[in-house]
Amino acid sequence: MTSPSSAGHRPLGDGDWHASPDTLAAYARGQAGQADGADQADGAPAWSVEAHLAECPRCRSALSAHVAPERLARNRSVLLVRAALGDESRVKRALGRCGFPDHVLRLLAATPSLRLSWLLSVIGVLAVLAGEAAAARYGWIPAVGHGRVHAAGPGRIGGYPGQGLAPFLLVAPLLVLAGVAAAFLPAFNPAGRLEVAAPCSGFTLLLVRTVCALGTALVLVVAAAFVVPGPGWLPVALLLPSLALCAFALAAATVVDPRAAAVVAGILWAGPAAWLAVDHVPLLIAAPYAQLGCAAVLCAGVAVLLVRRDRFEWGWMR
Amino acid sequence: MSQGGGDRDDVALLRAAARGDEDALAALYDRHAGWLTVRLTRRCAQPDLVDHAVQDTFLALWREAGTYRGSGDVAAFVWGIGIRRLIDLTRREGGSRHLLAGRAERPQMVVSAEDQVLAGIEHGRLGQALADLSPELRAAIEATVLDGLTCAEAAVLLGVAEGTVKSRCHRARQALRAALAEPQAGPQAGQRAQRHRREAWGAP
Amino acid sequence: MDEMTLSVTTAAVRVDGLSRRYGAIRALDEVDLTLERGITGLLGPNGAGKTTLLSVLATVNEPDAGRVTAFGLDPRDAGERREIRRRLGYLPQELGYHRHFTVAGFLDYVAILKEITDRRRRAEEVARVLAAVGLERRARTRIRALSGGMRQRLGIAQALLGQPELLILDEPTAGLDPEQRLRSRELLSGLPGDPVVVLSTHQADDIAAICPKVIVLLQGRVHFAGTPAELAATAAGRVWAAGERDARAHLSWRGGDNRWRHVGDRPPAGAELVPPTVEDGYLLLSHAAGAR
Repeated sequence: MTSPSSAGHRPLGDGDWHASPDTLAAYARGQAGQADGADQADGAPAWSVEAHLAECPRCRSALSAHVAPERLARNRSVLLVRAALGDESRVKRALGRCGFPDHVLRLLAATPSLRLSWLLSVIGVLAVLAGEAAAARYGWIPAVGHGRVHAAGPGRIGGYPGQGLAPFLLVAPLLVLAGVAAAFLPAFNPAGRLEVAAPCSGFTLLLVRTVCALGTALVLVVAAAFVVPGPGWLPVALLLPSLALCAFALAAATVVDPRAAAVVAGILWAGPAAWLAVDHVPLLIAAPYAQLGCAAVLCAGVAVLLVRRDRFEWGWMR
Repeated sequence: MSQGGGDRDDVALLRAAARGDEDALAALYDRHAGWLTVRLTRRCAQPDLVDHAVQDTFLALWREAGTYRGSGDVAAFVWGIGIRRLIDLTRREGGSRHLLAGRAERPQMVVSAEDQVLAGIEHGRLGQALADLSPELRAAIEATVLDGLTCAEAAVLLGVAEGTVKSRCHRARQALRAALAEPQAGPQAGQRAQRHRREAWGAP
Repeated sequence: MDEMTLSVTTAAVRVDGLSRRYGAIRALDEVDLTLERGITGLLGPNGAGKTTLLSVLATVNEPDAGRVTAFGLDPRDAGERREIRRRLGYLPQELGYHRHFTVAGFLDYVAILKEITDRRRRAEEVARVLAAVGLERRARTRIRALSGGMRQRLGIAQALLGQPELLILDEPTAGLDPEQRLRSRELLSGLPGDPVVVLSTHQADDIAAICPKVIVLLQGRVHFAGTPAELAATAAGRVWAAGERDARAHLSWRGGDNRWRHVGDRPPAGAELVPPTVEDGYLLLSHAAGAR
């Protein structure tokens, strides 16, 4: 144990004092848990070195020489990558704090129908539809439909039940379908081949994406349905048709080309809905038998999807 | 590794990093990561944990450089973040149930006058007095005064109960006060020093 | 029999009778080959089936007939297929990117697909491959702002994530300038862990430079499998240099030394034999195959 005065210290007040290279080397060698024993130099000199380091940039950088350069370089590059990765959007950070694991968030970021631009477009379309429905309901514009147009006067709520709702009922489930289609169509997934060649289960990936896309789209559509003037049960009535449509599209995608599946699903909805609009009974979709029909399609679609889920492990590269 | 960042001082680099300047972050790293790694290694034997703590420290600087309100002692700021990150990681590894008070992002070091004296630049006598302490007492004093940790945090780092840390600090301060209060020379100094040493080396 | 079993156990990847068709077109026709550790080059013109073969090896496409075995695993079994994919790195021919992603974000995404769940390990891997392809300073750049060569390097980088044992690269040097091609040669020759590397290319000099083994694929069939020297040797005695063009040669062009180089069977007047290169061998083979 060397006395402090011989460890290269000088009395206070001398601004030129720097730790000697030996002192720094001895300090760098010391480790936690070895405070006593052979290296008694851990006592005062360690204190003095640390207190000095707090003041002296030169000795701090001299100390850097005692770390393996590869270790410093490795931590540096990892730090810069983590800094680059950490520049996420605020939404992602908020979701991260809610408990979503960050790898799920990263996978979802690759889904176009969860991006802000897509969501804003959907909101725009819904706003237009809701506006049209409100305007038709209150008679500001004639309601959509062939032939029997009831042009009610301003301020008078007239016409048939569901007047003006036809475009909204027609398009809203299609918007949900579009969101889900964007989650699994290869056209929207440029790195699809990488996903197939990766060990991550294709089916799991698809489920995560479509469920999130579905959920987001449904939230928007149901919220719009609350705003649109119409029967109170309208938001609920839209749920089953939207879900059934998406289940059908996904199930069909295990059998035929996914693009064809999405288009066919869209047409299978648009056809009857347009016909109902023409006949002025668009609200029939809320009738019990219609809802039951949708539920049946939903169950069948989910069953087919589960049975044929192996299809998603290979992708659609033909 | 020489000082990076050219002539810009640490505060300027921090402000640049707050604005998203990646080169400034790299320069801060080049200046401070070396000594931080060494200093943290003296507290933790696992190099993985030290590496993670160092990375996390500079990431925290990157994210929260905008909140730095200090007067210019960036090195102390860096150390405060670093040691608390290390404690966080040690706690998670060890599975200890201690809850640290508050978020360990901005260290609030409250230093009493007495502590300031104890932490002051070394004198021959203070150094000697410290060296005469037992390793356990010395470690407790180092953690609480030099590193600026609370007793709870120090307990996690040292792996003992919080009460043990408190009592060790108390005994260490007693011994140091007694040692510093003695007159410099004299034949009784040696005997008194002997007695204090016995006290200091008593059961923890 | 003993020799057969020996060769079966040492080959890392075996392909037997692989066939695949797209409608009426036979993209692959009874292909047999083996791949060992080290780099194998796949040489062939467009439409020869290189991309199809590589996509089948990468378990992205199913064969119509025949079988593939990688490290003793059969991709027809779901569990074994997943295990192959864990050891796989694949660069498809036209890799699309999510253009709004940053470079680091995209690599992070692929790392997640490769089941690297720990965030720190992912960052380490991303840092490692970025350094390997020289894109460290571009970690925060959006992909839409990258040049073609940088995107290609990014494609190689994502294939390297996770240190795969089977690395399949479809035209990795396409779009790279000469300096970058040299760098990628350096990169591919120095991969840790000595993986099985298959790369397809048009460029015979890439093959000659780094591939100890080369396979020539023409019209869906394997026409040659061996070392580059052997491929060059197939053209021995049929490559000449002369002062002028010869119309009867298969191929004739003026070389850098201002002399015409002919590849063919009938030497023009006044021509002298020159040592054949890998490219000469390939040209002769493809000409012969085309003539059939």
